[in-house]
Amino acid sequence: MASISLSKVCLDYPLYGAYGFSLKRRLLGRLIREPDRTQTIRALDDVTIEAASRDRIGLTGPNGSGKSTLLRLIAGVYPPTSGRLDITGSIMPLLGLNAGANLDFVAADNIGLLLRISGRKPTPAIVDEIWAFTELEERMRHLPLRMFSSGMLMRVLFATATAFPADILLLDEWLSVVDENFSAKAEQRLLKLVQLAAIVIIASHDQGLLRRTCTRIVSLDHGRIVNMTKVGAEPASQPRLQEMRA
Amino acid sequence: MMQANEPLPRLSVLHIFKVYYPDLFGGTLSVIRDICAELKETFSAAILVCSRSDGEGEIVVDDVKVERVHSFGDVLSLPAAPSYPLRLWRRIAEHDLLALHAPFPLADLVFALGFGRNRPLVVHWHADIVSHARLRRWVEPLIRGTLRRAQAIIVSDHVLIDKTPLLQEFADKCCVVPFGVDVDEYAEPLRHRAEVGHDRGRLVLACGRLVPYKGFDVLIRAAVGRDFEVWIVGEGRERARLEELCRELGVEHRVRLLGAVSDGELAKLMCMADVFVLPSVTNAETFGLVQLEAMAAARPIVNTRLDTAVPHVARHGIEAITVPPGDPARLGKAIDTLLADPERRRRMGEAARRRAVIKYSTYVFRNGIEMVYRQAIAAKAAARPVAPAQPTSATLPGAIRIAAALAWSDMRHRYVRSILGPFWMSIQMAIMVGVLGSVIGHLSNAGAVARLPMLALSLTAWTFLSNVVLDATTALQNSASLIKDRALPPIIFLLQCVFRQGLFALHNACVPLLLWLVLTPMNVDGALAALPGLALFSICTLGLSIVLGAIATRFRDLKPIIESTLTLAFLASPIIWTPEMINHGASITRFNPLTHLFAVWREPLATGEVAMTSLLYVLVCVAVLALGSVVTALHLRKAAFWI
Repeated sequence: MASISLSKVCLDYPLYGAYGFSLKRRLLGRLIREPDRTQTIRALDDVTIEAASRDRIGLTGPNGSGKSTLLRLIAGVYPPTSGRLDITGSIMPLLGLNAGANLDFVAADNIGLLLRISGRKPTPAIVDEIWAFTELEERMRHLPLRMFSSGMLMRVLFATATAFPADILLLDEWLSVVDENFSAKAEQRLLKLVQLAAIVIIASHDQGLLRRTCTRIVSLDHGRIVNMTKVGAEPASQPRLQEMRA
Repeated sequence: MMQANEPLPRLSVLHIFKVYYPDLFGGTLSVIRDICAELKETFSAAILVCSRSDGEGEIVVDDVKVERVHSFGDVLSLPAAPSYPLRLWRRIAEHDLLALHAPFPLADLVFALGFGRNRPLVVHWHADIVSHARLRRWVEPLIRGTLRRAQAIIVSDHVLIDKTPLLQEFADKCCVVPFGVDVDEYAEPLRHRAEVGHDRGRLVLACGRLVPYKGFDVLIRAAVGRDFEVWIVGEGRERARLEELCRELGVEHRVRLLGAVSDGELAKLMCMADVFVLPSVTNAETFGLVQLEAMAAARPIVNTRLDTAVPHVARHGIEAITVPPGDPARLGKAIDTLLADPERRRRMGEAARRRAVIKYSTYVFRNGIEMVYRQAIAAKAAARPVAPAQPTSATLPGAIRIAAALAWSDMRHRYVRSILGPFWMSIQMAIMVGVLGSVIGHLSNAGAVARLPMLALSLTAWTFLSNVVLDATTALQNSASLIKDRALPPIIFLLQCVFRQGLFALHNACVPLLLWLVLTPMNVDGALAALPGLALFSICTLGLSIVLGAIATRFRDLKPIIESTLTLAFLASPIIWTPEMINHGASITRFNPLTHLFAVWREPLATGEVAMTSLLYVLVCVAVLALGSVVTALHLRKAAFWI
């Protein structure tokens, strides 16, 4: 069973970009007893979230409030500075689609490579199914990705990234595929993925979307949880698809 | 992907054990035979065992296909069958369910290697390893691994879970399914006995393989100075010793070793006997299936107080008299007590038969086993959609696999849009070797051509090392999106550098290989002796890439420093020149680790001898780098902050 448990998690993001960390500064600083200035930003502060199966959690808040950082922390990108983090179940982070694609390679090879990166064996059947989902012409399959329009590229990347279900789904903004015809289909697939996943966490600015999709909405500001509201309505289902697309 | 398995009409189960009919008889084997026979309507069974006979590999016993793997005999009660693991691995895929009859460490080994992971496994726990206590320490981790991986463990009585520490760890997986006995088989001989009224009043029967734990020597000693007759059914390696014991004690006229008999014959013997004795002395006797058969034949039992199911199947004072194991006097007294009291024998016999009918019927046994088998298959099928969805990047093999896939795609990227084809890298290397070779030929007087293969190989190795280190310094930054958006562990990208440059080095290696084949006399021994050195070289490169890759990502000024150091090191190390070309004892070559890193494989290649000082030096380097790599790997969790 999938579960996420964060208790009193803090994350201090070190600011390596600043100059203050050099050896010279450190030695001199010690000599002239310059007070140690903190070179970190508290990106998450005392965050406690419990999620069990069937939970859909929406993260909201202004830019830089820690939504993406929290998603990455759950995905295991950042280790927490303090607090406990317990996660069971496989995690699928859909934080960006472009990672790992090589524009010089033909589409089929890219699909294979992206599948391998997510730890799966690209069997011909799976690649065929992904290609069928993109609705692109068969001959496109053997063209390098750099020949694709951005919409077509998005189709391939989206179809590959969402080919398999996962226990825990992390979404940074609802993945939108601009192509008019394709976006309904993509939406449907994403909804299905959300339905199959045990736990879904979506970071978004779109309050309406969160209200329709989630069971709980967590508001973040400066890395702290300022509000946690339960949404009464049922999670989004098929009939609401049109509404969602609006 | 997301499909459910279609239900199959008849599932197939593979029984895994060390031996089967007709090589041996005994309780465990009859249990396997009964399972195959009872479940034949729902499961098609196959048996894979070892055998010492040279006969055909596949035979049919009681309508069940038995595949026998040749064994060279028993070592520590285990068949020495080297091909068994291979055969088992090949058979696993053909069946829907694996039923391992434990203990059988040879099969545990196969499961420990990870084979058959995607097949449901049920362990029939027949006995603990009792006879070789010292061996146990070594195989216990293997057995634990198998139990961890199993969907269910079948034991014959609850007491086994309580008294076996290993089973206690997996108590939630254990299912108690008591063995069953077909009571109808004994109805006919029983009626016959009642009609004949055949009651000598002094016949004691025991049955089992003639092996030490059965305690037949205790029974023979118990017969001394008493007047009952003992018949022992069974065959085994202890026979000569038991016969000798009978003669020594002077009871050979009252103790008869009947040897192996057929099942029908045994049923008749059971009904003839007045008392049935199970004198087993160790916990290797977990249940005493044969005493259950005696109970079905309405015999009073004398058994021993073992920590197993033995005294629970036939209970003291109700169906049996239970005595301490290994105590001939108490055993003899118990037998005499029963023989002297026909009324008590009759009462106990009736109670025994009733218990066999109610508690140990074949119906309960078959349903129990079938339910466990079906649940195991269902549990595995339910777990299956989850299993491939696990992100494998978290484990080291998963990381290596992803790194290899990335490196392979990098190599193919080099071919893309190239005009000279895949081997432009090799051509580049050949030109470099040619130019440098001619320059060095002018500098030193002798044998420039003969030195070319070594020069080419050294250049290839150096290119590998320096490119790995250079690549590693930027690898994490270049893969920032994969680390941050796909949550891949950073170590993957450092491994990717090593694998990628390794593949490139293989391309380059064509040049030294060709030169070596053309220009020097074949010296395969030297080449073989150089392989361990080359392996050490690669390990050092891996260590360097991890340590320097991480530090250079954290401290950005390190990259230019590393670049200039590499140029310096190229000139200061004996790569294009050899130590012999300059002053031999120069300290700059002696203290330079690169000198030794090259020497560990160059010396064996040139002279066939391994330079011990260099080897020692390199081993110390490996140890330091290994330590550094471990420390770095722990800090790499924070790499996402650095990029």
